Amino acid sequence: MFLVNWFYGALGYLGLYQKNAKLVFLGLDNAGKSTLLQMLKDDRMAQLEPTVHPQSEELVMGSIRFRTFDLGGHEIARKIWKDYLGSVDGIVFMVDSSDRERFELSRNELNELLSMEELQNVPFIILGNKIDLTDAASEEELRNALGLDTYGYYGKDLKSQPGVRPIELFMCSVARRTGYAEGFRWLSQFLK
Amino acid sequence: MSEDVYTLEAKDGIRCTWQNWPSNKVTATRNVIPICLVYTPLKEIENIALVEYEPIACSRCKSVLNPHVAIDFVSKAWGCPFCMTRNSFPSHYKAHISETTLPAELMAQYTTMEYILPPVVALPPVFVFVVDTCCDTEELSYLKSSLQQSLSILPAEALIGFITFGKNVYAYNLGWTENTRCYAFRGDKKYELPQIKDLLGLIGNDPRSVQTGARRFLMPASECELALNNIIEDLSKDAWPVPQGSRPLRCVGNALNIAVSLMELAYTRHGGRIMLFAGGAASFGPGMIVGDKLVDSIRTQSDIKNDNAKYLKPAIQFYQGISERAANNGHAIDIFCCAIDQIGLLEMRSLSEKTGGYLVLTDTFKSDVFRLSLQKIFSRDDTGALRMGFNSTIQAFTSPDIKINGAIGPGIGVKKKNPFVSEVEIGMGGTNHWQIGSIDNQTTLSFHLDIVNQEPQAKRTHAFVQFQTKYQHSGGRSRLRVTTVKYPVVETANIAKFISGFDQETAAVIMARWAVSKSETEETIDVIRWIDRTLIRLVKKFGEYQQEMPHTFRLCREFGLYPQFMFHMRRSQFLQTFNVSPDESAYYRTMLVRENVTNSLLMIQPALLQYSFESPHPTPVLLDIASLKNNVILLLDTFFTVLIWHGDLIVKWKKLGYQEQEEYENFRELLKLPVADAQSILVERFPVPRLIETDCGKGAERLLKAKVNPSGMGAGNATVESGNYFTEDVSMKTFMDRLIEYAVKA
Ligand SMILES: Nc1nc2c(ncn2[C@@H]2O[C@H](COP(=O)(O)OP(=O)(O)OP(=O)(O)O)[C@@H](O)[C@H]2O)c(=O)[nH]1
Ligand SMILES: [Zn+2]
Repeated sequence: MFLVNWFYGALGYLGLYQKNAKLVFLGLDNAGKSTLLQMLKDDRMAQLEPTVHPQSEELVMGSIRFRTFDLGGHEIARKIWKDYLGSVDGIVFMVDSSDRERFELSRNELNELLSMEELQNVPFIILGNKIDLTDAASEEELRNALGLDTYGYYGKDLKSQPGVRPIELFMCSVARRTGYAEGFRWLSQFLK
Repeated sequence: MSEDVYTLEAKDGIRCTWQNWPSNKVTATRNVIPICLVYTPLKEIENIALVEYEPIACSRCKSVLNPHVAIDFVSKAWGCPFCMTRNSFPSHYKAHISETTLPAELMAQYTTMEYILPPVVALPPVFVFVVDTCCDTEELSYLKSSLQQSLSILPAEALIGFITFGKNVYAYNLGWTENTRCYAFRGDKKYELPQIKDLLGLIGNDPRSVQTGARRFLMPASECELALNNIIEDLSKDAWPVPQGSRPLRCVGNALNIAVSLMELAYTRHGGRIMLFAGGAASFGPGMIVGDKLVDSIRTQSDIKNDNAKYLKPAIQFYQGISERAANNGHAIDIFCCAIDQIGLLEMRSLSEKTGGYLVLTDTFKSDVFRLSLQKIFSRDDTGALRMGFNSTIQAFTSPDIKINGAIGPGIGVKKKNPFVSEVEIGMGGTNHWQIGSIDNQTTLSFHLDIVNQEPQAKRTHAFVQFQTKYQHSGGRSRLRVTTVKYPVVETANIAKFISGFDQETAAVIMARWAVSKSETEETIDVIRWIDRTLIRLVKKFGEYQQEMPHTFRLCREFGLYPQFMFHMRRSQFLQTFNVSPDESAYYRTMLVRENVTNSLLMIQPALLQYSFESPHPTPVLLDIASLKNNVILLLDTFFTVLIWHGDLIVKWKKLGYQEQEEYENFRELLKLPVADAQSILVERFPVPRLIETDCGKGAERLLKAKVNPSGMGAGNATVESGNYFTEDVSMKTFMDRLIEYAVKA
């Protein structure tokens, strides 16, 4: 027992001790939240059913231990998003970049979250997923469609931008395993 | 497997893993899949013999006279096939019995029959509604209208009770002529039975006087309908304020305690059900599964794995205590769980499991799944009786070389050592006697049997099993259903007989039930490994192959589908926990172990039907990604969900409005066909499944994509694309290849 504790202690001293962070995955149904989580957890692409009950996983990325909550995105499920936002460290908001018909709905849901008092200082990564599809929107198009410019432009590099709200859009494809890692790296800087 | 198994099932409600039984223990073990019966005691059987007299029982073991007994017409006696006792017929039988004059119970066709037993008094069933008032106003209004609706269809003589809960519990006085309209109990206090009795103002010790006192809480529907309707009408959201960042205080546990106690005090061993309507998690008092602060979220799979769910064990224990009390009193507890988050089904599952109560899980009280299921519970048969039996007991009798390991399914075992009981326990073991508070024509249990004969030779040519199910019919009278079955015992060397008598559907179902039962105490991964090992042993034993030569491997028809059932079982919601909450796991598992072979199989491997212009009739197609074709409509039936899926071309035609044009009548008809079929599934099934219609590419398509075999996905873990379909899941082909490799290994 002593040895184990000492070991952790030493790691903590060296700055490798894992931090804990609570991340909530939100976005309309079929955006790819659960698919991404399975990928992050098992490095495996699988076909999943729509999420009904909120799901939680523990993941370690870099030096941070994440406790993630994946909430269903269909209409009834959205009612309980707010139940899960207490003491959250970051929000992952996912959008299917090929689902143009529902960009507006996504935008409304996102705006509602962004205007919540308790989330004013919480970093948001917005993931524009499924860019592998030929009819996927470009970053430009999605940024406009979601009305992100009204919040200022934070930038994807890891410098902090005083005065700008930490919100950034990353285009990705879970299926191709690209894009989202940059998003999480960006997010991590706020958790240190 | 012959057609016979279906005929036998229709006649007796029984299916068995093997139609021919081994004569000794060693052979039984080598046959890998044990002898198991899947039995639906109250199955609706056409032209069943229903008689109003008492059965003749064996003087020693109490098994009942049946068509399989040996009769000596000369000395007017019969031999009991279970304990080998020779019984002489009672005098009124002696007077008439001959080879040509037989009572119903001795006629060959009545291997299943039913006796209406004395006394000639009819006990009305009791229904106690336990209603959550912490839901939001909209949810509550849907719940209220469903409750009022069921009130209007209940039998007039049924006794009704009404209890609500929020932060407190309120037991309603339905007479309401005196002063108090309801009796309040604190949500967080631990109440013992005598205390509840006092607080309800019940006096006396004999059931009669308690019943008289309890009459204001449990009153015939005909007398309290109006008052109760008003009470429901006036029901409003629990008044206790809910601060920001908190969840409402729900004392589900205490509400159930009051309901179970009221029933225990007044109507022990008299049929009744407690119907819990829950719109959220128990967050207060005994049985709470989560605290009242929202930041403390409801335990998840990972919390449970990391032993980080502090309410879990005490809550499970609490509900098990409540369940056992209800079960011992002969009562059932139903759970209608209508919430978008978990409510604690994992902790509460014993309520329904141990009592045979209904379990319905859906996201809102508005849903058809809830509304129609509730209506269906109160539907009547041709005679005007509710389709449910109460306060039932099941007893099993077996011939001398066979003993009972136990039963898997709803109910509790009544521990009893006797010659029918095996030392080895599986499921509810150590007994041949089980008790189920509520049983209907769907309730199904599986029974594991142990062949105990140690000698190589068969001692008898046949094996017998009898089930006696006693229950309170919803008409009020006590009834006894008796089913007696007989199976040939074959010699060890006769492997062809074993093969031809293998019922792979039943085998898959009992393995699934067993796996679910094991998963309560074992890690899921170990259960999956056990399924794999069993499968490998089975194909090793019954497959044809030359050692170390995978390409020579063949599996005969009787076993051909079994590996595929296991493939689907392994990846099903019964064993996979990713994206499935603890409540969902508990729900699916509880539902699997109470269904018959056909329905359980549907849950394991859903059915897929194709509708196209090529055929006027729906055709079953492979549950395979290749079946998602452009020009077809598919109907997926998973038991819980019925999904209608339109292929891409069909969607385009719909968008062009072809169905409205006269010259495309056949297209219009094609669109209608699956909808009509889905409706007929909804009408027949309980709980009523969720019906979803979707198009190719839409989100609900995932329900189908998650179930199909990812064929054409190459070997192992390559990402392959077929439309927008990505998966690295193992395909059936890969699974079979690996299986064969293992099987042919020396
Ligand atoms: N083409 C493509 N499809 C993807 C990608 N990521 C996910 N998908 C598919 O899109 C669907 C997303 O489903 P989920 O991950 O269950 O979506 P969700 O956001 O969790 O949805 P809910 O659980 O209903 O809220 C699945 O069919 C995935 O296979 C991607 O990068 N590219
Ligand atoms: Zn006997």
